[in-house]
Amino acid sequence: MNESQTLPQHFLSQVRKYGRHKVALRQKELGIWREFTWQNSYEQVKHFGLGLITLGVQRGDKIATVGDNDRQYLWAYLGLLSIGAAQVGIYTDAIASEMSYVIQHSDSVLALAKDQEQCDKLLEIRSELPAVRKVIYWDERGLWNYDDPWLMSFEAVQALGRDMAEKEPDRFELEVALGQGSDLAVLCYTSGTTGLPKGAMLSHANVLATARVFHAVDPRLDTDNHVSLLPLGWIGEHVLGIAPHVYTGLMLNFPEEPETVRENVREIAPEGLLYNSRLWDGLVGSVQVRINDSSWLNRRLYQWFLPVGYKAADKRFSGQPIGPGLRVAYALGDRLVFAPIRDKLGLSRVRAAYTAGAALSPDAMRFFHALGINLKQIYGSTEVTGGATVHRDGRIKFASVGQPAPEIEVRTSPAGELQITGPTVFQGYYKNPEATAAALSYDQDGRAWFCTGDAGYVDEDGHVIYLDRVKEMLTLANGEKYSPQFIEGRLKFSPYIRDVMAVGGPNRDFVTALVIIDFENAGKWAEKRRLNYTTFVDLSQKEEVYNLIKEAVAQVNASLPPAARLRRFVLMHKEFDADEAEMTRSRKLRRNVLYDRYGQIIEAMYNGQESVHVRAPVRYQDGREGFVETSIRIAALGD
Amino acid sequence: MDQNSVLLSIENVSLSFGGAAALSEVSFDVRQGEIRAIIGPNGAGKTSMLNCISGFYRPQRGRILYDNHDLTQTPNHQIARLGIARTFQNIALYTGLSTLDNLMAARHIQMKQSSLASMVYWGPAQREEVEHRRVVEEIIDFLEIAHIRKAVVGALPYGLRKRVELGRALALEPKVLLLDEPMAGMNVEEKEDMARFILDIHERRGATIVLIEHDMGLVMDIASRVVVLDFGRKIADGLPDEMKHDERVIHAYLGQE
Repeated sequence: MNESQTLPQHFLSQVRKYGRHKVALRQKELGIWREFTWQNSYEQVKHFGLGLITLGVQRGDKIATVGDNDRQYLWAYLGLLSIGAAQVGIYTDAIASEMSYVIQHSDSVLALAKDQEQCDKLLEIRSELPAVRKVIYWDERGLWNYDDPWLMSFEAVQALGRDMAEKEPDRFELEVALGQGSDLAVLCYTSGTTGLPKGAMLSHANVLATARVFHAVDPRLDTDNHVSLLPLGWIGEHVLGIAPHVYTGLMLNFPEEPETVRENVREIAPEGLLYNSRLWDGLVGSVQVRINDSSWLNRRLYQWFLPVGYKAADKRFSGQPIGPGLRVAYALGDRLVFAPIRDKLGLSRVRAAYTAGAALSPDAMRFFHALGINLKQIYGSTEVTGGATVHRDGRIKFASVGQPAPEIEVRTSPAGELQITGPTVFQGYYKNPEATAAALSYDQDGRAWFCTGDAGYVDEDGHVIYLDRVKEMLTLANGEKYSPQFIEGRLKFSPYIRDVMAVGGPNRDFVTALVIIDFENAGKWAEKRRLNYTTFVDLSQKEEVYNLIKEAVAQVNASLPPAARLRRFVLMHKEFDADEAEMTRSRKLRRNVLYDRYGQIIEAMYNGQESVHVRAPVRYQDGREGFVETSIRIAALGD
Repeated sequence: MDQNSVLLSIENVSLSFGGAAALSEVSFDVRQGEIRAIIGPNGAGKTSMLNCISGFYRPQRGRILYDNHDLTQTPNHQIARLGIARTFQNIALYTGLSTLDNLMAARHIQMKQSSLASMVYWGPAQREEVEHRRVVEEIIDFLEIAHIRKAVVGALPYGLRKRVELGRALALEPKVLLLDEPMAGMNVEEKEDMARFILDIHERRGATIVLIEHDMGLVMDIASRVVVLDFGRKIADGLPDEMKHDERVIHAYLGQE
């Protein structure tokens, strides 16, 4: 056979290689991790795939799938791909009307729905789905009394397949051999924030390319374990779990229940995993809580060694050598503190852990690296089959989302949009040529670049910096673009800053900011330095505090293109207050109110004044109104 | 046994504590495979009735017939062996043990090996333990409590503790399950979950269920037949739909005007 081009072709070559002698996957059931060899998997996939043929599935048909991550999902997925069909993933929490839209739009001929919950949704919208011939389920719980002929069990499909396998023993291998890399593998519907979801068409070659380029960055071995925990409606699990499974023989592990994932991760201790940034943030908090609840000795060791961990992590980030003293101290800390914490988190064997989604704060990033966890940022999208950029070992930059993976190129359009090309760029949106045309732009070599809609740039070290969605970007008078949310978000990473409003706009030449200090943290910082202060106003106007915040601003400026950098800022004399309608109750800025109320301060920053006198109305908690009069310093920064 | 055969027959049961009559002359039956609800206002004698069936209380008069035994004359450890299990209105679990251990403890009445053999944990004793663990794990899966398998029960939220208690009753593999207000103090979602579990137990495990519940809507949804108690007397007995419109029931629930 030629070089394997499709996921099932890779699957078959692994089956030939490992057969009955190696575990392909595990699933925890009734409290025990059950193991399945490649040969077990092969029979399951084959019989399911052939069963689908008996049900009349043709090459190129689409099959919708909805269910939790488990072995049947995997077998059904590989089975339908084997006979040339494509999968349409649906999130388990999709409501019936969303399911209806996706199934109809994708022209799915079958629906695979794990359990009663999903089957009930499909039964509810049955009249809208005349094209769906059968619904196939594999968790019969609660479905015992359903006798609708529209529903069919996974085992019944496999029984059909077994019959066919007896009559045509070579059929399965022949079907697999017919597959080509350019065949559609997955239709991945992206949840657009506006408008209807669009179905991104991803070929076998796309999916395998992402697995290949990530394998080149962080190799996945056949002795490695992967815990399948990301929703399969999303492309992430396909390219981090299933594709490496068939590409390198990575072992898959399916959790017992969605609720037991954390526990199961700890039991398996995978070599790599991806959590979104919110989860990583949550882990920082839970480690600190657990340490506070632990014994006196543990707390002391933690307090003693964590700074050692930070020091070693900072050296690694900045590329400096770690001296022998620090090396010994770190090794001791690792033994006594870090290794046990990693074990509790299920990260004891992790070689590369990833974060995706919103940017993770440098503090959280430093924290995990101090614990010896190699945490890296990934950036990408469904249209480029998952990840496009990733941090490389030892080259972590907090502000960046990593460097383009091998075979992937990233460029910035004149409008400041990030565009991506490479073997992972999708084939287009299904039945939506307008959206496809808008999303892809071709260069003179005929290469397709995916227009991400994200604003950002590539810095001098080749790191990709993501700023914001392009449509959230604002323009300055000189035509330069900036992202208020990015600047505000990055500044708030400083523990001393509670709130920020970045100011700019089409009639301003540069960006400025109103900064609210974090009274508690800045207060503690001042106390440590024996700096006397009385009130919030007093503390906020200390020169030392200004210098402290200036450092934070300078750090953020370093990660911004020069035109978007902050040139002036003030430390406000009072906090933004939801009671005064300056913020919403969920602490979102009401920009117009703030512009109005602090117009005088903003003007002063642009007029080049060194300070501004404010007489600001304040409403006290008992409803009385009064005025605060004070003078606010204006800090200026160079380039 | 067919669907309509009487499994449990309560005949003229009277129970009093000193001078206070908790139950007077109550008779009703429970058929094989039904969900029988007992409803009534506070102090109507519902829990007392359940306690008589499980052998907790001994009625002064009357009989409770089950499988050729008069339960009023049967020692209460025997009653569990006969296949009758219960849950309590106020949860009664080993709060210091894990979910798994609570369920395993309920299996002890099924254990046949001597304590000495169990201590050596070899051969038949080990096989027996493994078999019990399998039964318990199936219950854990059934009730979707895998995520709290190793959690100490005392630290669990109320709704989950209720579920663990139900699991412990199931670990006895009962023919009759007595549930005393299984949904008390739960929010709507927890109630729905619990109702689904009760229906699944009924459907899948074929258990006959006697249920005390306050939530009328829920009783009407899941019960096959309803018996209504008021001041220790039976005032009505019939299908849920009939009970909804029964003058005496409405009167007992809404009080005198």
